[in-house]
This record gives sequence, structure tokens and C-alpha cells, in this order.
Amino acid sequence: MSVPLLPSTRRIFDLALGQLLWGRRGILLVLAAAAPILLAMVTRLTLVGDGAIVQINGRRIDSQAVFGTVMSLLYLRFIVPAIGVFYGTSLIADEVEEKTITYLFTRPLQRGAIVLGKFLAYLVCVTAVVLPSAAVVFMVMVPFDEMASLLASFVRDLGVLALGLAAYGAVFLWAGALFRRPLVGGLLFVFGFEQLAIVLPGYVGRLTIAHYLQADTTSVVCLLLVTVVALWAAMLIIGHREYVLER
Amino acid sequence: MIVSAEHLSKWYGHVSGLNDVTLSIPPGVTGLLGPNGAGKSTFMQLITGQLRPSAGTVRVFDEPIWGNPSQYRRIGFCPEQDAFYEHMTGRDWVAALAGLHGMDAGAAANAAAQALEAVDLLDVADRKIGGYSKGMRQRVKLAQAIVHDPLLLVLDEPLSGMDPLMRRRTIRLVKQWAVGGRSVIVSSHVLHEIEAMTATVVLMHNGRIVAEGDVHQIRALIDAHPHRVSIRASDARALAQRLLVDDDVSSFRFEGDVLIVETDNPDSFYSRLTEVAASGEAGSVEEVSSPDDNLQAVFTYLVKQ
Repeated sequence: MSVPLLPSTRRIFDLALGQLLWGRRGILLVLAAAAPILLAMVTRLTLVGDGAIVQINGRRIDSQAVFGTVMSLLYLRFIVPAIGVFYGTSLIADEVEEKTITYLFTRPLQRGAIVLGKFLAYLVCVTAVVLPSAAVVFMVMVPFDEMASLLASFVRDLGVLALGLAAYGAVFLWAGALFRRPLVGGLLFVFGFEQLAIVLPGYVGRLTIAHYLQADTTSVVCLLLVTVVALWAAMLIIGHREYVLER
Repeated sequence: MIVSAEHLSKWYGHVSGLNDVTLSIPPGVTGLLGPNGAGKSTFMQLITGQLRPSAGTVRVFDEPIWGNPSQYRRIGFCPEQDAFYEHMTGRDWVAALAGLHGMDAGAAANAAAQALEAVDLLDVADRKIGGYSKGMRQRVKLAQAIVHDPLLLVLDEPLSGMDPLMRRRTIRLVKQWAVGGRSVIVSSHVLHEIEAMTATVVLMHNGRIVAEGDVHQIRALIDAHPHRVSIRASDARALAQRLLVDDDVSSFRFEGDVLIVETDNPDSFYSRLTEVAASGEAGSVEEVSSPDDNLQAVFTYLVKQ
């Protein structure tokens, strides 16, 4: 008698969602969501001229450019990879490290469902916090009369945020399934290799996820592909791997 | 048979966890005895599908277990490690794990309440596991193993850390589990714990089966080997002279005023010793003990072979 994948995924999803919301990394997520809002409020208070223009080093920059910079530097270059690393690596690795994976492996579930259920719970959890945070920043920084014209672009940005969270989460979930302590390696990848590779000339930047955090078709397809392949690889590892738990 | 293993081996790199084990475990309660590192936990992880055999086969309910998650509907596993989702309450944790068996929320909550009651933990069920004592943690671990009413319970050192009352209750639970046609495989390195639960034992050491069967069969096995008797007497040398006249004594030595005798025929030897002691001809016999006269000694003896 086989065990169907989707009901198993749903059960793991229910369990994992509670763990993510109330786990010790919840504070990190709250900080990641609140910090840009605070920053946006401070920026808003420093508005000059007619209230829609920011002046930096004597140069006048419109609110769209300021918001774009916040999205690019703060969300896409920092918050999304940081959340991806901290949460993604924890999804499987924490269960192994804390020896609770036994309770999942001895239930009538396909092991792949553990990967899928935890990933979906992660995605729901982080997008439910990061996307509203970006929306609040948008509302704080962009003048009301300009919102309508920027809305389409903003929705695309939200899509890129969600895809970035998915791609980073999947890649680091895979790393967590493969390595016992993947956090340090993950941090080196996103804040070392990626930051360096993206400014280097040539094709090295294409080996990063950060390179594809853009709202064009190629990038979207690449992010989806990275997500699917990483999840598939993680399911394969979990399905065949024996975790020998140290006493 | 509930579990059958054929030439089952498990290696961790170059380290052998289990070595060419062939074993059949019948329905009922079976105890796995052995010191730490004997291979009990490895065997339990193999029969619960957490590890893949390096060589040989293992079948549970006559089906393979590795990569066969549907088997887990019939198996409840209580691991040795002290690992939990600490932030959850006992009730939520057991219910969540019941939910992983496909129960809806209501059924899972009911099953969790029943399991927690069975381990006498209902009164603290709504406290976080992180605040539980060692004994409570053992009990909630047991509750998650029985919550889906499995046909086979696999318990790795379940009595560790429990107070005497809960120990007794758990032993009763294990015995009752098997009464309804279900089975239990329970491990311990404390022999009297296993003795209290079952007479069917498997003795393990260094990844091998040292002996298996009924406790009495194992004792019969030991009877085929010299049986040691320790005698404290007022005049041990005079006593030795009296006892050595018959050929049921295979060897003897002195440890201070204690005479240690090895005999191939314990019944005959004890009978003569009683006569000599009663006659007083070799002084008084103050204390007679046999390190071989309990399961611990049987185990120790077999492990040395």
C-alpha cells in the first residue's frame, strides 16, 4: 500500500507552519520585516521640497528611485538572501541536529513530503511577512498621487521578492538536507560569493541567484527552475539518506 | 513472525553496528538486552526503516521496511534520544504526530488524550514539553509511540529516567499491549527491567546475537557451562576439602575467606553443600551466592564467550 504525496505534504505543512511561526527564528523574521518600515519612516521624515523629493548630497532624487533602491539593496540583496539562508538551512538540518527527524521518518509519509511540506510552510510564512512589509514601505515612501502609476511595477517587485524567497529557500533547504551544519556555508555564499560575483565582469554573476532577481521572463524562469531543481534534489537526498543521530 | 532478519549487517563507514544477525522475533513481548554499543539501537533503527541494511535483509510483518512508509501505520517507535519540539505542549505534540498518521484534528486530539492518559500525563498535557521533567519527557515520548494504536511497539530504553511508580505502570502497559495480539520489542541494558516485562529475550553484544529465546532456555544454555558458586565460610579450606571429594566440582580457588567453586552439576553440588553445611563438619557456612544465578550473570557469562 503506497502513501500518497499530497496528503502527506499537507500534514507536514500544518506541523511545520506552527514551528516556523513560533520557532526561535521568528524574531529574525519580525526584525527583517520591521527594519525597512522603520527606515522608510525615517526617510519620509527627511523629505525635502514639495514632500515628494529626497535630497542626497545636494542631488534631488524622486521617490520612485528611492523606493527602487530600498527594494534592490535592502530587500533583494540583504533581507531575501538572509531569510533564505537562515530559514532554508534550518528546515531539515534543525530536525537532524535536534534529533527530532526520527518522529517524521517513522510516520506513514513519503519522505519527499517532508521536504515539500516544510518548503511550502516556509514560503507561506516568509512571504506573509516580507511582502506586507514591502507594501508598507511602498505606502510610506511613495506619495499617494504617484502610487497608481507605480503600482504595476510594485506588484512585479513583489513577485520577484516571492520568487527570490522561494529560490533561496529551496537552495538552502537542499544544503540543509545534504550537510549537517550548512548555515556558515550559506552565509558565505550569499554575503561572500554572491556579493563579489555580481560586481565582477563576465559570466560569474550568472552563477548567483541574486543575478536573476529581476522582473524579466528569463530571470523568472531561471528562479523557478532553480527552485524546482533544488527541491527535487532535496527530495532525492531525503528519500535515500540515512541520518545517523549521535547520542 | 513479527520481525525476521537474515544475515543482517549494518556498518557506519568502517565501524560495524550490527554484524551478520539472523533472527526471528515472534509475536508478544521480546526484550533486547545488551550493554551500550551492543547494536540494540541500530537493530531498532533497521526494523523501523530509519536505516538501510548494509547487507542482508530485514522484514517486518513479512514486508520490507526500508522505503516502505505504509508500514509505519502498524509500528510505533519510542526512540532513546531525548529530543522534542520543546515549544509545544505535550498535548499538541502528540496530537500533531497523530495527525501525521492521517487522523483529522478531532480524532488526533482524542487519540492524544487517550495516549497521554495511558502514560499518566494528562494533568500536565497543556504544559510545554520544555518544562517537563526527565520522567515526563520519557512518558510523552511513549505517548507519541502508542497514539495511533500500532500493532508493533518498538521501545528503545523506555524506562530510563522514570520514577519507580511510572516504571511499574509502563511495564504493565507493555505487558498489556501484547495481550491484545499486539507485539512489543523493548530494549534495555538493565536486565531486571527486561525480566519484568518478558521472558523472551535476545542478548546482544558487539553487534551480534549472543543468545536468544526464553530466559529459561538461556539459563539452560548457561547450565551447559561451569556454574560458579561463592561460599563464605568460617573455615573455607576445610570446606573445600570436604567438597572436592566428588567430581561435580570442576575447579576452585580462594578469594580471602571466600571459596569460589565452579561446578558442571549445580543440582548435585548444591545438594552436597547443604548436607555439609547442615552437618557442621567443615565449620559454619555463612553465605552462599551465585553470580550465575540471575539474568545479569547469564548475560555477562555469554558476552564473555
